[in-house]
Amino acid sequence: MDIFNGLMLGFSTATTLSNFSYCFFGVFLGTAVGVLPGLGPIATISMLLPFTFGLPVDTALIMLAGIFYGSQYGGSTTAILMNLPGEASSVVTTLDGHEMAKQGKAGRALAAAAIGSFFAGTVGTVFIAVAAPLLAGLALTFGPAEYFSLIVLGLVTSMVLTSGSLLTAFGMALLGMTFGMVGTDVNSGFARYTFGSANLLDGLDFVVIATGVFGLGDVLANLQNEHARAASVAPVSRLYPTREDWRRMTAPILRGTGVGVVLGILPGAGVLLASFSAYALEKKISRRPEDFGKGAIEGVAAPEAANNAAAQTCFIPMLTLGLPGTATMALMIGALVVQGVQPGPEMLTQQPALFWGLVVSMWIGNLLLLLLNLPLVGMWAKLISVPYRYLFPMICVFTAIGVYSINNNVFDVYLMALFGLLGFFFRKVGAEPAPLILALILGPMAEEYLRRTLLISHGDATVFFTSPVSLGILVVTALLLMSILSPHFRKVREEGLQEVD
Amino acid sequence: MINRRELIVLGGSAAVLASTGFVRAAEWPTKQVTVISAYPPGGTSDIITRLVADLLTAKYGQQFVVENVAGAAGALAGGKLARSAPDGYTIMVSGSAPIAANKVVQKNLAYDPQVDFTPITVVAESCALLSASATAPAKTLQDLIAYAKANPGKLNIGNPGAGTKGHICAAMIGMQAGVEINHIPYKGSPPLLADLLGGHIDFALDAPSNYLPHIKDGKILGVAVTTAERVGEMPEVKTVAEQGFDGFNQTLWFGAVGPKDMPADIVDKIHTAIKEWTDTPAAKEKLKSLGLAAVVNTPDEMRGSIEREIASIRPLVDAGLVQPS
Repeated sequence: MDIFNGLMLGFSTATTLSNFSYCFFGVFLGTAVGVLPGLGPIATISMLLPFTFGLPVDTALIMLAGIFYGSQYGGSTTAILMNLPGEASSVVTTLDGHEMAKQGKAGRALAAAAIGSFFAGTVGTVFIAVAAPLLAGLALTFGPAEYFSLIVLGLVTSMVLTSGSLLTAFGMALLGMTFGMVGTDVNSGFARYTFGSANLLDGLDFVVIATGVFGLGDVLANLQNEHARAASVAPVSRLYPTREDWRRMTAPILRGTGVGVVLGILPGAGVLLASFSAYALEKKISRRPEDFGKGAIEGVAAPEAANNAAAQTCFIPMLTLGLPGTATMALMIGALVVQGVQPGPEMLTQQPALFWGLVVSMWIGNLLLLLLNLPLVGMWAKLISVPYRYLFPMICVFTAIGVYSINNNVFDVYLMALFGLLGFFFRKVGAEPAPLILALILGPMAEEYLRRTLLISHGDATVFFTSPVSLGILVVTALLLMSILSPHFRKVREEGLQEVD
Repeated sequence: MINRRELIVLGGSAAVLASTGFVRAAEWPTKQVTVISAYPPGGTSDIITRLVADLLTAKYGQQFVVENVAGAAGALAGGKLARSAPDGYTIMVSGSAPIAANKVVQKNLAYDPQVDFTPITVVAESCALLSASATAPAKTLQDLIAYAKANPGKLNIGNPGAGTKGHICAAMIGMQAGVEINHIPYKGSPPLLADLLGGHIDFALDAPSNYLPHIKDGKILGVAVTTAERVGEMPEVKTVAEQGFDGFNQTLWFGAVGPKDMPADIVDKIHTAIKEWTDTPAAKEKLKSLGLAAVVNTPDEMRGSIEREIASIRPLVDAGLVQPS
């Protein structure tokens, strides 16, 4: 079947009244739950998954996909308004998005995220339609050695995210890697740093830590000076991007989309690496890198575009090989299996209506998301000027519910509270938490892939350099590291020279 | 207004009602029942939990609600079940790890599955599958053993996690053949399958369902199944026992258990309902699509399954081939 016929079949599947309604329902529900602080895509899909078991398979998948990008977008909304990343990929959105919100530009930040996401979503969908089987093969060329090198690149990149001291960022990344060690060791099955508690055997959950450090930490800091906060949040200015905003964000959206489409194909690390690689790229090539972290619209548009492009293309390994790219994808595979469909190489030939229906519904879902959210931007933007005495109890309650709902475990709520205090401490000493959060996720992955590579090669470390892909990535990493360090050293030297004068 | 005396009377009668409800298990269930799922939503174990909850809801007219208590390879769910009242209003349906294997592969398990649980029945089982990449140095189990003997320490076999059935089966094969196997643990099946498809690892021992489509597609090769008999969906794949390991029989199974001292008539009611359901063609078809076969035994036979599972793993732990966590 050629692409044109496939798309026609897809349109006829996706636009039936029930499928279209469920697509809308999924996007709506995903956005609604996603904007609640602490509830990201994983929690949302886990809660709503059983509901889809009673639906026909195409409808169920279309609805789940709707919930997925609905909650992903909803997560960006909380990242911007309340400094609360719903999942790992929206951590970078908090950096400039929340700054913009504090400057009264919440509407413009939300609109930039929505527009960037829609454009990237459209491009991502086209990629799936045109090149899914081809790109799936590309994903398989990545073995443990290649993944390890890519993750090292990610770890180095996370240092670019900071707008403060490089040394502090490095320290926070190390601390994050240390927290990442908690839990069962993949190789030996030994429990590490669990103090005999079964609650820690699976390690520290990203959502619990991020909600505590970012969300609760922010609440505590704001409570300390509630009056100052009211003064520090500027009144909401324009809701929609200005001509200047458009000029500044067009190229970042295009670049972010490119980064996202490519990295999204890699199962495991792709979606996360996409959003902050895009951010780091913009910061590196910007003529005003000093604006990043202080409310640069490029710092919202690029990672949001990358995030959403990757959220589309991460369906490729799932649909063509049965390999989930993210935890949410794994849930969706579960939903398909319940329905008796085993995702894999035969899906395109045996279930063409399902495959093409999903592809088309993705685009429709993204369109619905834009139509649903642009009118709501005004409402969300006003939320930030709600007096804090009303807002903070709500944030506390919803984050507690959200964190509890991940595993139905009260322990996670206490853990979140503890990391809230830590987040407050970081704020007091001026340490930015983003590198910590990213290292918390990437650190254990780096360890896992490093040890797996060496196990398979029987301890021979040269494999990292004999694989051309791995070598290429490591060279890029080294160049990036030099470009981060050299201006820093130069500055230190200049300061030293001035003192001599 | 309710005065104090009435409150006491009300409380007292509630207690009487509760105690008679407890004794007269024949009327069970009179309210909502919690069915613990030991894994996150969407996995095979969780799907089976939901199928069982649905069939019990249909049979007994009360809601059987699934509660996911995921984490620590089912140990958190097992602990929760062990702490529940044995009144028939909390049961657990899950893969065998929290019901058996965890006793020997976890050090700080908060319960003893052989003491703290009442076995109800095994629900379904499948084989574990040894598969090879297209470029692997061996296509049969004999060749694989020969390769391991010729290249000591060089045989890599991937598994979906330390202490999982895939790891245990590979360790058993290695121990029985007297060869050293380099076990490569992964975090679940998908990354292992990806490396096998990409040729980054040569062999994998794992649950079969994710691998079947790729075997049919010719991208990877089935080397052996771990059950006593060959498996319907891939009849050409020989058993481990057929390839020189007489009596080798390991299954991945899923079962239902309650807390200890659950009344026998409630156990019987749940058992009967599951048995009736698995006898229907619709249920057989559903389980087959999950790569499973319906297997319902009696509570006593399930006690035996648990014992055998633990006894088969213990020598591996004693020999240091599987490290308890």
